[in-house]
Amino acid sequence: MVDEGTGLIAIGAGLAVGLAGLGSGMAEKDIGAAAVGAITEDLSLFGKAMIFVVLPETIVIFGLVVAILGIFVMGS
Amino acid sequence: MIGRRGTEGNYAYAVARVKAKKSKLLKVEDFDKMLNMSTAEISRYISEAGYNKEMTDLAATLSGIDLLEYATNANMAKAFRSILLASQGNLRTLVQSYLEKWDFWNLKVILRGKSYGLAAEYIRQDLVIAGKLDAEALDKLISIDSTEDILTNFAKMMGMNGQELLDVYKSKNSFGPVEDYCDIQHYRRLLKSINPNDRPSQNFQKYVRTEIDVRNLETILKLKVVGVYGEAVAPYLIPGGRYIDKKTAMQLAGAETIEGASSDIAQLEFYEAIKDVFEAEDMKVRDVVLAMKKYEMAQANKLSHQYPLSAVPVIDYMIHKEIEVSNIRTVARGIESGLSKEKVKDLLVI
Repeated sequence: MVDEGTGLIAIGAGLAVGLAGLGSGMAEKDIGAAAVGAITEDLSLFGKAMIFVVLPETIVIFGLVVAILGIFVMGS
Repeated sequence: MIGRRGTEGNYAYAVARVKAKKSKLLKVEDFDKMLNMSTAEISRYISEAGYNKEMTDLAATLSGIDLLEYATNANMAKAFRSILLASQGNLRTLVQSYLEKWDFWNLKVILRGKSYGLAAEYIRQDLVIAGKLDAEALDKLISIDSTEDILTNFAKMMGMNGQELLDVYKSKNSFGPVEDYCDIQHYRRLLKSINPNDRPSQNFQKYVRTEIDVRNLETILKLKVVGVYGEAVAPYLIPGGRYIDKKTAMQLAGAETIEGASSDIAQLEFYEAIKDVFEAEDMKVRDVVLAMKKYEMAQANKLSHQYPLSAVPVIDYMIHKEIEVSNIRTVARGIESGLSKEKVKDLLVI
């Protein structure tokens, strides 16, 4: 049987990763569309566009770090 | 929120596309090079700068300056249509309304062409098929003989009041009033299509109203040169200007000469942009019009940077493309007619 505190930490970790993922998804939506638009006109922009598309992924990493901290530091 | 944004338009995609397209437009250095070339060399040069397909397609039937003119026309129409096809939602509505300008242009070409008795293929070559009406619809208009029927059919295709258009034509039985009516209708319809509830639309509206100001001032100045002033100018003015409202326009139109209106012109918000050419000793209306065109371009550029996710960057590209085509033609025509390089360069909007 898992205690209440551990359960709340698990929910918090889930929210941290989930909400961060949602946020980066929203950010990537417009950047991705713009990147595809630019690549349609000029294929040589593919490399640069790719970098900009994945930039918001860092938000998920923050969420992941918070989740790991929650599980392994607070949970231990 | 995601659904709502969907109807707003795909600004990110379309704007990135037009920005990429804009970066490929000819630069000042290209025009400097072209000034030293012959028509054939210019044709080759622009073929390498994105006009290749149209040049090749038309090379079988045309040559020289005609080939260059029709190829640039066709290329411009293709570029505008591709933007329209790439736009969605609200952005598409705005772009389509802006492109209606070419429908009115095509109507003018058809009316003028038919009145001069030109064959259908020559009229067709002058069309810029970038608006609401496609090649098939325009072909239908070309095949009609009577002017009244052309106007009625055009109004029907565009969703306009056909009787009003006919009345305008019948009032003087000439194309002049129809052309003026078309210009006014284009801006009226364009302003009506903009719903200024959000920032992108507000920005677009701001730009369109600036364009109306430029057109109106141009009309007022040109009419003064031919001795038309006062109340007689009113029918040619387009309502909805940003800085020049009806009262200001009539005040500007009131003076008999350009000198007489200079103090009122000096009060205009954008006077700084035309100050140098306007206050020059040998002031020419042509130079003032060119300065205003540059101001219009600068405004589109400025507004497109202020709010990138709006229709303005798309329109900004269209203006630059149109100017590029007009500049190419000016260089080719200028060289062909033996004008000096300096004179041709003065005529360019760069």
